[in-house]
Amino acid sequence: MNLERLPNEEKLSLCRKYYLGGFAFLPFLWLVNVVWFFKEAFVKPVYSEQLQIKTYVKRSALGLLLWVTVLTTWITIFQHYRAEWGEVGDYLSFTIPLGIP
Amino acid sequence: AATARSSGRASGQIRKRIGSYFSFAGVGCNSVEKKIYVHLNYTVPCVRLLNATHQIGCQSHLSGNVGVLHVLESEENVDWVLRSGPNPPYLVILESPLFTRSIMMKLKNGSSRVAGVAVVAPSANPLEGVSPHTTCPNENTGVYTENYDPSLAHCNVTVWNPLGSGLSYEQFDFPIFSLKDDNDTQVIRQCYMDHNRAVNGSTPQYPLCAMQLYSHMSAVTDTATCMRRNDINFSISPEMVCDPLGDYNVWASTRPINNTAKGHKMWESVVIAAARLDSRSFFFEVAPGAESGVSGFVTLLAAAHALRNATQEAPPNRTILYTFFQGETFDYIGSSRMVYDMQNNNFAVDLDNVHSVLEIGQVGLRADSRLWLHSDPVSRKNDSVNVRKLIESLQTAAKGLNVSVNEPGFSQPLPPSSFQRFLRARPIPGVVIEDHQSAFTNRFYESMYDNAEYLNISYPPNLTPEEQLVFVTDTAKVLLLIANIHHVHVLLNQLYKASPRLPSDSLFNMFSVPQVTRMLYGFLIRSNNSWFQQRIPPDFMSHLTDRPTNFYVGVAQQRSELTHLVQYLLANLTGSTANISQDNCQNQREDEKDKESKHMYSYVWVQGAAPPNSTKREGFCVRSTVRLSKALSPAFDLRDYTSKNYSTWTESRWKSIKGRIFLVASHDLEVNFPFTPQRQHMECRFNLHLCFMNFLRFLLTMNWLCTHCRKSGKLDAGIHCSFLE
Repeated sequence: MNLERLPNEEKLSLCRKYYLGGFAFLPFLWLVNVVWFFKEAFVKPVYSEQLQIKTYVKRSALGLLLWVTVLTTWITIFQHYRAEWGEVGDYLSFTIPLGIP
Repeated sequence: AATARSSGRASGQIRKRIGSYFSFAGVGCNSVEKKIYVHLNYTVPCVRLLNATHQIGCQSHLSGNVGVLHVLESEENVDWVLRSGPNPPYLVILESPLFTRSIMMKLKNGSSRVAGVAVVAPSANPLEGVSPHTTCPNENTGVYTENYDPSLAHCNVTVWNPLGSGLSYEQFDFPIFSLKDDNDTQVIRQCYMDHNRAVNGSTPQYPLCAMQLYSHMSAVTDTATCMRRNDINFSISPEMVCDPLGDYNVWASTRPINNTAKGHKMWESVVIAAARLDSRSFFFEVAPGAESGVSGFVTLLAAAHALRNATQEAPPNRTILYTFFQGETFDYIGSSRMVYDMQNNNFAVDLDNVHSVLEIGQVGLRADSRLWLHSDPVSRKNDSVNVRKLIESLQTAAKGLNVSVNEPGFSQPLPPSSFQRFLRARPIPGVVIEDHQSAFTNRFYESMYDNAEYLNISYPPNLTPEEQLVFVTDTAKVLLLIANIHHVHVLLNQLYKASPRLPSDSLFNMFSVPQVTRMLYGFLIRSNNSWFQQRIPPDFMSHLTDRPTNFYVGVAQQRSELTHLVQYLLANLTGSTANISQDNCQNQREDEKDKESKHMYSYVWVQGAAPPNSTKREGFCVRSTVRLSKALSPAFDLRDYTSKNYSTWTESRWKSIKGRIFLVASHDLEVNFPFTPQRQHMECRFNLHLCFMNFLRFLLTMNWLCTHCRKSGKLDAGIHCSFLE
């Protein structure tokens, strides 16, 4: 969707929807928020709703960073130690590779 | 997508090029593959086996192990492979004298530079003994544990298999295949000579001859892990990764025993005559087992046949139970299961019913014409265990037959034998007949060289298979002699207790050397022969092969050819012809109303021989007491996969086992796709090209749509076109 054609109030409401939606364990919505509204929030000349949009984008970025850290840590630990966990590792896995521990 | 942003002309050119590529890719796939690869016809791999604590055997990558061929010349040449060779990884071709523990351990330690090993099996046995088995077979599941007698445990007194290298029980990270010494292998050697051989110290240049071996095994770590992964329910694609080893034991009795009523039988006193059926070697399903298996059970079959004729006139007061155990090589699968069933009232008789055990072990060699009677020193100390009488009657029986039969002469534990599992349950008198006084005389124990040639079963040249079948070899005579001893001993004990006179001449007349000859021929040379064919049901005909029988026990779901053969032979040799119609016979009854016979007897319809004037065989029904009892380790019923008491051996599953040779270009030119989906076999790389090409076409179409629609103004430039941009 092309943001240029939207009036500013609708831009703000769209940003807010994506921001609130991300709290439902949907970090990709925050990613979309950050990428999509980055220009609107930081590059465009100032307009009335821009401050609000800026806060939303900043908070989305923060939440995104948190998710990325948590997921990266868990994925690293799991990939590294799954073989040693034996039974627990097998029950946590969806597909177990054949022929390697 | 970058190139797709375009004017009409460029996109038209691209479209044409892609179209022609598509048509070429579809047609040229298979014939190109044939020009590149030469597939190996005869592939005998080593597979992965697992038990409670370890995994043994070999493993390859999912997409096969590729290595530059190198024919190993000597043990010093291993250093070249492991350190100085310029084009690792290497696939080492070993002639059989070099297939030793020291070389294999060196290759195992340098396995980053070794892609695999191919062993050329010779056509004649080597001169010195080779055994890949351990030095102390089945040391943890016999009767000699720390609790029983610590001084006898772990082969402290006698090392039974001193030539054992233990190679069969090592774990390798590369595939090891066995090649026959024939024209295909000569092609491989020629390829090496032409392309890979270093001439005058110069390093060989690409392209080099390479071989790729596929033997990817699905199971890993140990039995508990693989059985757990078998059972996982919620994964996307539940896959079985391993199967327990096992089969069926064959047993028969001289007097019918009610098989439906399990548990203790009052007034029944049983002598168990036991022998082992199975064997193994380093490679999968290569197990000739001549001395370690065949010699024992063929002797017992002959003795059973001889006793049938004798006991028909005067039934003995003790029933003899002939038992043929399967899976004994792998920690006594068959005998541990039978003892377990007896203890849990799941077998026709009970351990209280067992009077004694007489086992026939390896008796084929008889190097200095002597037989040895082994017994357990610990249980003999107990007065109630009367081994003395057993041994005396055996020695009396042997006197009349010109065979010398002795005890080892010093206090020695039992050799590895099924009798040990009975002793584990309770002290029973028993003797194991062997041809070795202490260590095995068998120099090829559990090896691929333990075959007919080792037992000196040789025929004069120019004999047809039929003539070979009836040619009496020396080994046949030897085994018959042993069967005689067993038979006479039993008769002495059971039949002639009251009157000790012994009509020895008439006993000899009952024996027939041809029986043993034919059995040896069928099991060691060729199972598809006329004698076997007459004694099996019609639908088993297709299972007989022109090769020797394979004695590997195999996984429990598959009943092996060997078990069936022994079952039918035993039925023919100990049973009698019954005048019953084929329909009744196959339904296990004497006539339509009969419901009782199936408890006591078993019936099998055999196809018989064709009379001289016609080609159609005349079948008949054989009534016998032969039964099958499941030989699956109790550990799997109890779900105790880390059991120390029972066998926990399982065999891994695999997807494909094959090999091929080809010329490989230098490493820079190799294209390795990093993405290899597990379930698809992308034999043809053009499949992936097709995929990319389709995607490109999609992009082109979308681009054309957008430009067209934008120009004509019909479509508002929606999400699709911005995405493309």
